[in-house]
Amino acid sequence: MLEIRHLTKIYDDGTVALRDVSFSVPDGEFLVVIGLSGSGKSTLLRCINRLIDPTEGEILWDGEDLAKLKGDDLRKVRRHIGMIFQQFNLVKRSSVLTNVMAGRLGYTSTWRSISGQFSQKDQQMARDALERLGLTDQTDKRADELSGGQQQRVGIARALMQEPKMILADEPVASLDPVLAHSILQHLERLNKEDKMTIICSLHYLDLVQRYSTSVIGLKDGRVVYQGSSADVRNITDAQFKSIYGEEAERMGGIVGELTTEEKGAA
Amino acid sequence: MRTRKFESETKPSLVPPIVAGLVSLVLPGFGHMLARAFGKGLTLFLSIVAMTGLWIWRVRLEARREVDFLAMFQKSIQLRPILLIILILIVLIYLWIAYDAYKTADKRKKPKSGFLWLLVFISFFLLGWQIGEIQPATLITEGKNSFPLLSRVLWPWEKAIYRPEEYLTGYAEVVIPCTEGVELEPVVVEEGDPVVTITPTCGNLSEIDGDPGTTLTMTGSGFLPNTETEIWWIDQVQNKFRHRAAGDYVKVTTDENGSFSLDVVIPYRVIPATNEEGYVVWRLQGSQLASVGEPVPSEELLLAIEKMIETIFLGMMSTIFGIILSVPISFLAARNLMSANKITLAIYFVVRFVLNIIRSIEPLVWAVIAIIAVGLGPFAGIIALTIHGIAALGKLYSEAIESIDSGPLEAINATGANWLQLVWYGVIPQIIPPFVSFTIYRWDINVRMSTVIGMVGGGGIGYLLVQWIRLLDYRSAGIAIWFIAITVAILDYVSAEIRARFV
Ligand SMILES: Nc1ncnc2c1ncn2[C@@H]1O[C@H](COP(=O)(O)OP(=O)(O)OP(=O)(O)O)[C@@H](O)[C@H]1O
Ligand SMILES: [Mg+2]
Repeated sequence: MLEIRHLTKIYDDGTVALRDVSFSVPDGEFLVVIGLSGSGKSTLLRCINRLIDPTEGEILWDGEDLAKLKGDDLRKVRRHIGMIFQQFNLVKRSSVLTNVMAGRLGYTSTWRSISGQFSQKDQQMARDALERLGLTDQTDKRADELSGGQQQRVGIARALMQEPKMILADEPVASLDPVLAHSILQHLERLNKEDKMTIICSLHYLDLVQRYSTSVIGLKDGRVVYQGSSADVRNITDAQFKSIYGEEAERMGGIVGELTTEEKGAA
Repeated sequence: MRTRKFESETKPSLVPPIVAGLVSLVLPGFGHMLARAFGKGLTLFLSIVAMTGLWIWRVRLEARREVDFLAMFQKSIQLRPILLIILILIVLIYLWIAYDAYKTADKRKKPKSGFLWLLVFISFFLLGWQIGEIQPATLITEGKNSFPLLSRVLWPWEKAIYRPEEYLTGYAEVVIPCTEGVELEPVVVEEGDPVVTITPTCGNLSEIDGDPGTTLTMTGSGFLPNTETEIWWIDQVQNKFRHRAAGDYVKVTTDENGSFSLDVVIPYRVIPATNEEGYVVWRLQGSQLASVGEPVPSEELLLAIEKMIETIFLGMMSTIFGIILSVPISFLAARNLMSANKITLAIYFVVRFVLNIIRSIEPLVWAVIAIIAVGLGPFAGIIALTIHGIAALGKLYSEAIESIDSGPLEAINATGANWLQLVWYGVIPQIIPPFVSFTIYRWDINVRMSTVIGMVGGGGIGYLLVQWIRLLDYRSAGIAIWFIAITVAILDYVSAEIRARFV
């Protein structure tokens, strides 16, 4: 159970990115965060794993306040929170395997990780993760030789290596075309349903939100302006969506749930 | 509210146009100032003062022997007609400025000053031409004198090999003058050496203004075929001089069998006998310059190779030292790593400042300083290039660090990695390509630079090059230049290859 209480973030330049945000996420939820560009989605996700230090408020995860953690304690908690990014954030010149192994750094001593001596168990884990995401053939390629969809799957594999209880996904499909977007979100859905991981994901498109979320919060200017359950979201109308989202709201289109042959092979 | 610009445009001139024009005739440019075109007036004033000053300086310089200025003027115009053109231009500009001032002060007319500025530009250009002593004609007429020299520089390889040479000689003896009862010992000829015979074996000297001396028939065999052979007179104490006929040295060319035959008139120079016996035995010798053995690399070539190697290593060592010292410094000079708090930011600014100063001082200057500190030689060169390299690489490296993608760092941070793991997995893979690229680039520069550094005594081939040029040994200098060119070309190629592989 993740509970955000009165979370506020004011950047050094005075920008107020989050204002008194409170909500809670029961374990096993697929929470989608929606909101206009600049509404504070990235800031919120990054506050949860403390890539950004919140200005005020509490982030209670199973009773522990993540906002107060420092140093080693913070790193230990981060190990259990996977994160995937819109721009994938792979080390482009490193191999796929190295990028995936990086997910294991929190569990590996400095010396072992620098000399590249990961345990047998870790290596088996990497093979499993790559297989699960259909990347077995790409293991030794450089990360930047992969297509966008493949790179995002490497990002997921890296997160999986953390054996996370929760995954934060900051617009994971915004750089991908509709078919790939569904492929990636289906991977996340599987992690959510089969592995019982909590997913917190920011998305832009109403149809994707309706298709994958089990609950939704809407942000506007750093405030929570909408909270809805899975059922609420299924019934949300375009007009309601636009009221949260502004006129830019749109559907992704594409055929929900159907994969191309290539993606089937990969998935 | 009206803008300032608007005000200055509409404010009328302080004086009527005619006054502005007249003031300009006294003090060029001041008319404009009175007409509220201060900047323009000042620029014109300074321009005409500078032009006139430069013109007077050049006139005095061209005719410095003349006493009064008028004579100087005439002389210098004779020598350099361009000075007259410049003078005409200055006068033209002077008048034009007055006219322009008149126009400027008259608010109904807008002066078109484009042509005035063009004239100012042209007269500065001509002054520059004169001061730079530019003479394209000389380049064409005298330039061809450099061709023989250039050809030696461009194709110096005759000097690159050396054929060991030895004189191949054979002689016979003559008694001068003919003396009864003198028996000459037979000349001992070793197997394979040339044989010379002379008939008769005695004779008389030529007299000055008198009878020619005895004509001897000299025949030689066993010499090198078809080769020039010199004829020498040698006495018993090894005094020697070359045989001449009608004032010229006598040279004979052997036939295809290595033989020759020649008539030799005993010259008057052969010193008369002064010993008790009253005669002197002279040797008449034929001598050829023959190469023996295989051609070997010349001393100059070996020296050039040696110094080229020294140069390459000089460049390499200064690059290595430069890398070692600039890598840590570059982290201090990377803004994204140093902007965490005020202290680190202060360090960043200090480091940047020092690097900029060091870099702005030429390696040549550092070399001179290093030579004073450690003496002539490659070590001084290494110090100079290292210092300059630290500054140059420090800047390039730090910019590479500043431009790394922060996304992967964020992702690795999110996995719970510690700082060292972050650097190893996130920072280093990203900075390796630019670091490799800049390092090779620097090595390239250092090798080129070390040839220049050598010229002031910092070791390497540059020193050799300068010495050979001073000795007018253009062939050897050519060898050095070829080596430098070849090395730089190879280095260019290698660095491009390595860069392509890493980036
Ligand atoms: N490092 C920063 N310093 C100052 N202001 C920032 C910083 N990062 C974000 N902001 C500001 O905070 C606000 C929220 O930004 P945030 O990136 O969280 O929005 P977002 O909802 O993720 O937008 P997008 O959909 O464009 O990614 C914006 O006004 C943004 O300009
Ligand atoms: Mg964002």
